[in-house]
Amino acid sequence: MRMLIYGSGQLAAGAVRDLTEANPDNQITVLGKDRNELERLSAYPGVSVVLLTEPVMQNYRLDAGIDQVNAFLALSDNDHENLMLAQIARYMFNVRHVVCHVENPQLQIMYTAMGLNVIGYTTGILQDIRQGINAG
Amino acid sequence: MFVVIVGCSEVGYYLARALVSSGHEVAVIENDPQRCQFLTDGPGIVALQGDGTDTAVLRRAGAERADVVVALTGADATNMVICQTVQHVFKTPESEIPRTMTLVKDPKNEPVFVELGIDVVINWINLARSALEEGVPGHPLRHLMSLRRPGAELVCVAIPSDADIVGKQISELERELPPGNFITLLVKRGGAVPPAPHQLVEAEDELIVVTSGDYEQELYDILTGA
Repeated sequence: MRMLIYGSGQLAAGAVRDLTEANPDNQITVLGKDRNELERLSAYPGVSVVLLTEPVMQNYRLDAGIDQVNAFLALSDNDHENLMLAQIARYMFNVRHVVCHVENPQLQIMYTAMGLNVIGYTTGILQDIRQGINAG
Repeated sequence: MFVVIVGCSEVGYYLARALVSSGHEVAVIENDPQRCQFLTDGPGIVALQGDGTDTAVLRRAGAERADVVVALTGADATNMVICQTVQHVFKTPESEIPRTMTLVKDPKNEPVFVELGIDVVINWINLARSALEEGVPGHPLRHLMSLRRPGAELVCVAIPSDADIVGKQISELERELPPGNFITLLVKRGGAVPPAPHQLVEAEDELIVVTSGDYEQELYDILTGA
């Protein structure tokens, strides 16, 4: 499967590790802004990287092949950029599988209701905190 | 009219002042506390410090009863989230208001934002480019607007008197155009006409053409080359 990942931080690195272990034939391109993080990720088999100097420019997204991938994973630490790129992948390039990481609980709920495949742990963590307080 | 402006750097500030002086009611949401204090000190502007993507902050600023919410932060992605939040939370199926407006920094985001349903998307790079092109004497190619398809643009090309294509029929010319480029309108001295196949291209005609950034130079060479 051809995949494009936006972001090169901890979450993206975990996804790359997991996806290459699950299927060494996966072809993954990682778009990121941190040269060191990208260098580490490029060591994985089947992984290529693109250093972004201007993350919002669509030319980079096209160069990285967003119009040819089966899956797009927006996993950076910037909710707003993740949401914009995930919607571009889904609605402009009709990418089949789109996953978008969002930390802000309000945006998690709203974009899920709008039909985007949103992942995020903040809502669950908040629930755990409430349960912890109530249990105490 | 009641306008909520989210993000109030220079553009937002001057827009707010212009609206207030025209008798409109303006509320501003600004994340920077110092800037917010500065705005509050000015006459007629209600400024609220906070995150403009937060529903509660938007509600406190009055987005529920606003005619227009204008997103003017420095980041296209944040402006998109603000507009989508307003549309999702405050717009009812029966109502066209509040309308959402934003400026895009990256011109390629204009068709994306239009596709995502933002009511008014202003591409100031294109506006500035068009104005500059208008101001350059004899410049034969002007950008009119970006279309929804990524990279597609509507341009206007003035045909020089010594161009090779003068005297050719539209059908002949269309065969020479790059892939995905087509003529949508022919503007002659007497007015605009549809580009019928037998129509002859004359000097000083203007052709309105759909093109893409990849083929713009080739299109220019074909239409103006001597």
